[in-house]
Amino acid sequence: MALSVWEHLVGQDRAVVLLQQATRAAAEIVAGTGPGAAMTHAWVITGPPGSGRTTAAEAFAAALQCPAGGCGTCHSCTTARDRTHADVEVVRPVGMHHRVDHMRELVRRAALSPAGGRWQVVVIEDADRMEGTSQDWRAANALLKAIEEPTPRTVWVLCAPSLEDVLPTIRSRCRHIGLATPPVAAVADVLVRRDGIDPTMAAFAARAAQSHIGRARRLATDEGARLRRAEVLRIPTHLSGVGPCLTAAANVVEAAQEEAATVTGPLDAAETAELARALGQGSSRGLDGRGRAQLKDLEKDQKRRATRIQRDVLDLALLDLLGFYRDVLAVQLGAQVELVNTDVERDVRAVARASTPERTLQRIDSVTACREQIAGNVAALLAVEALTVTLR
Amino acid sequence: MRFRVERDVLAEAVAWTARSLPSRPPVPVLAGLLVEADKTGLTLSGFDYEVSAQVRVDAQVEEPGRALVSGRLLADISRSLPPQPVSVTTEGPKVLLVCGSARFALLTLPVDEYPTLPELPHVTGTLPSGLLATAVAQVAVAAGRDDTLPVLTGIRVEIEGDTVTLAATDRYRLAVRELTWHPEQPGLSAVSLVPARTLADTAKALTGIETVSIALSTGTAGEGLMGFEGQGRRTTTRLLEGEFPKYRALLPSESSAVATVDTAVLVEAVKRVSLVAERNTPVRLTFAAEELQLDAGTGEEAQASESLPCTLDGEPLTIAFNPHFLLDGLSAIDAEVTRFSFTAATKPAVITAGGTGEAAGPAPYRYLLMPVRLSG
Repeated sequence: MALSVWEHLVGQDRAVVLLQQATRAAAEIVAGTGPGAAMTHAWVITGPPGSGRTTAAEAFAAALQCPAGGCGTCHSCTTARDRTHADVEVVRPVGMHHRVDHMRELVRRAALSPAGGRWQVVVIEDADRMEGTSQDWRAANALLKAIEEPTPRTVWVLCAPSLEDVLPTIRSRCRHIGLATPPVAAVADVLVRRDGIDPTMAAFAARAAQSHIGRARRLATDEGARLRRAEVLRIPTHLSGVGPCLTAAANVVEAAQEEAATVTGPLDAAETAELARALGQGSSRGLDGRGRAQLKDLEKDQKRRATRIQRDVLDLALLDLLGFYRDVLAVQLGAQVELVNTDVERDVRAVARASTPERTLQRIDSVTACREQIAGNVAALLAVEALTVTLR
Repeated sequence: MRFRVERDVLAEAVAWTARSLPSRPPVPVLAGLLVEADKTGLTLSGFDYEVSAQVRVDAQVEEPGRALVSGRLLADISRSLPPQPVSVTTEGPKVLLVCGSARFALLTLPVDEYPTLPELPHVTGTLPSGLLATAVAQVAVAAGRDDTLPVLTGIRVEIEGDTVTLAATDRYRLAVRELTWHPEQPGLSAVSLVPARTLADTAKALTGIETVSIALSTGTAGEGLMGFEGQGRRTTTRLLEGEFPKYRALLPSESSAVATVDTAVLVEAVKRVSLVAERNTPVRLTFAAEELQLDAGTGEEAQASESLPCTLDGEPLTIAFNPHFLLDGLSAIDAEVTRFSFTAATKPAVITAGGTGEAAGPAPYRYLLMPVRLSG
C-alpha cells in the first residue's frame, strides 16, 4: 500500500500536526466553508541537513493539492511526487545559487492563478543560497516583492537550515515550521520499513549518519560509502607526520569526488536519456539544433550541480570527522551520552587518552574552520590539507 | 490502444496541438503530446503549465487507450506522411504508426506522470474568431513586458452584458478596445486578467475557427481560468491575479484640440525622423492649422525634421512622444486617417481611427499615449 504523503517525514510529529492543520484550513478556504486561519501564503521550513526539509515542503504541497489532504495514491499526489504537477514547482539552485533572473521569472509565474483551482505551491529548496552579496541580495529581493504582495492562491514554501539564513524582510512575512533532528531509532525504523534494510545495518547507518536520513540510506545501501566513511575516520589515528597528513587529505577529497560521481553519474544519465526521448531522439531522425541546444544546457546545469554535490559530500565527510572528535570529547569528559562512532570505539578511546579536552576542542574548531573555508570557495584539497596538518 | 484516422485530420490536429508545447519543457513529460482514444474518437492534448490545448477528431477506434509521445517528432512525422489512412497501435513501450508503406515506431514517455489538464470552465458567450484576434492584437501592444510587475503583463477583460472591453497598459500607454459579442445570458458581468502574450497567441491559433466560445470561471479568487472552444478545439489559459490600474479615469472625457493626419504618411515620417532619436529620446510633433511638423534630435547631436499636411481644430501645440510607442499605436488603429485628441501638451493624447467623430459616439479602439516632457 502506498504511504500517505506525511509518512515520508521521520520523527517530525509536531511539524506534521502544524502542516496538517494548515492543510485542513486551506481546504476550508478552497471550499469557502471557513476563514482558514491556520493557513497562510508563505512558510519557512528550517531544520538541520538531512532532517527532511524538502520532504516536508513537498508533502505539504502535495497535501494542499489533494482533495483528501495527501492520500499519496490519487493522480494529484503521484504527479506531485513525480514533480510534474502543474501547481507544484520545486525550485532548486542550478549551480551554487538561485539566480536572480530565475527568481524574477518565478515572480511572474507566481502571479498566475492555479491550473487546478486549488493552490499554486512554489517550494524553494536551499533558500539560503540566493545570488547576491550582503549589500545587495538581488535574488532574495526579487522574491520579496512577490511575498510582500501575495497572490490569493499562491503559497511559498522556503527551505533553509535556520531562520537566520533567510533575509529578515522575507522571514518576517512567513510562518515558521522548525524540524527537529530525528531520533536515531526513528531513522533506523524508516530504513527498515521503507527501504527494506536489515535492522542491524539500519541502526548502524542511522547512528553513523547522525540522523541525516539521506546519508543513512546511502551508508546502509552502498558499501563504497561505508568504506569512504571508514577512510575518513582513520584520519585521526594516522597523522604521524606531514607526509601522511597530505596523503590523508588527498584521500578524503578523492573519496568525496568519487562519492559525488556515484550520485550524479546515474542521475545525469537518466535525465539526459529522458530529455532526449521527450525531444524525439531514438527514432528515424536525430535531434535538430534546438534539441541539441537544450541537451547542452542540461549538460551545463548538470556540471554546475556536480560541483555543488561534490562540495556537499565533502562537507558530510567533514561532519563524520567532527562526529569522531565529538565522541573523543565525550569520552574525555566522561559524559553519559551514546557514542556516534561505536564501530571505531577503540580509536576514539585511543585518541581520547593521547590528548586533552582543550586539544580536542581546538581540533573541533579547525574542522569547523575548514568547513567554512570550503563553503567560501577555497580549493578543497588545500583546505583539507591545512586541516589535517593542524589536526596532527 | 489501436485506431485508424485520416492522414489530413491527424496532421492538422497534431500541428494545432503541438503549437502549445513548450519550446523548453520544464519537465520532460511536457514535451509529450497526449494521445487518447476512446469509443467516440481521438483526443490530442498538449500543456505547458500555463496554456493547455486539446483537439477532438473522428477516428475508428478499435481498442481504447492512451499514450504519451514526443510532440515535435509526431508533428514532423504526421506532416510528411503520404496521403493514406494512418493506423496507430501501442506495442509494449512503443507506438507503431503505419501509413501506406511507411512505418514508424515511436518511444513513449511515462503517461502516468503527465499532469492533469485544467478543466474548461462554463461557456459564457461567443464571438467571431477574426474579431477576437484583431481586438486582442490591438490591445496587446500596450501590455508590459516586465516580469516583476506581473499585473501589467496582462490584458484586462471586462464583460458587461453584450459588451466586452479589453484593456492593457505598461504605464506609458494604454490601449482600450470595446466590442460586442453574444453572451449566453443577458446581464452577464465578469472581469479577468489574462496574460497578454498567451491571449494573443491563443487568439491567433483560433483564427481557423469561425465562431469561438469563451468560457470563464466566475468563481472567487484563485480559481481563474479562461477557456476558448470551437470546432472540436479547446484551449485554457491561467489568469493573472492582482489589481489592474483604474484605467477608465485616465481616459479624458473631453479634448481642447483635435487633429487628423493620414496614417501611412505619418508612420513613414515618424520612422524617418526617429532614425536620429537615440534610445529613449522623443520625437516632437508640432501641430499647426494645416501642417504637422516632426522633429527629433537636439542641438549638439544629429537632427531631423519633416512636415506633412494635417487638419487641426483647436489651438496649435507641440507635444513629444516616444517614437516606438507612437508607431505601435498608429499601426494598431488600423485606419487610413488617424485622429489625435489633446487636452494639453503635458497631458496624455488619445489616438483613434479618423472616421469616428464625437457625434458617432466613442471610438471602439482608443490608444492613450503619455507625452514625454520637453525640457526647456
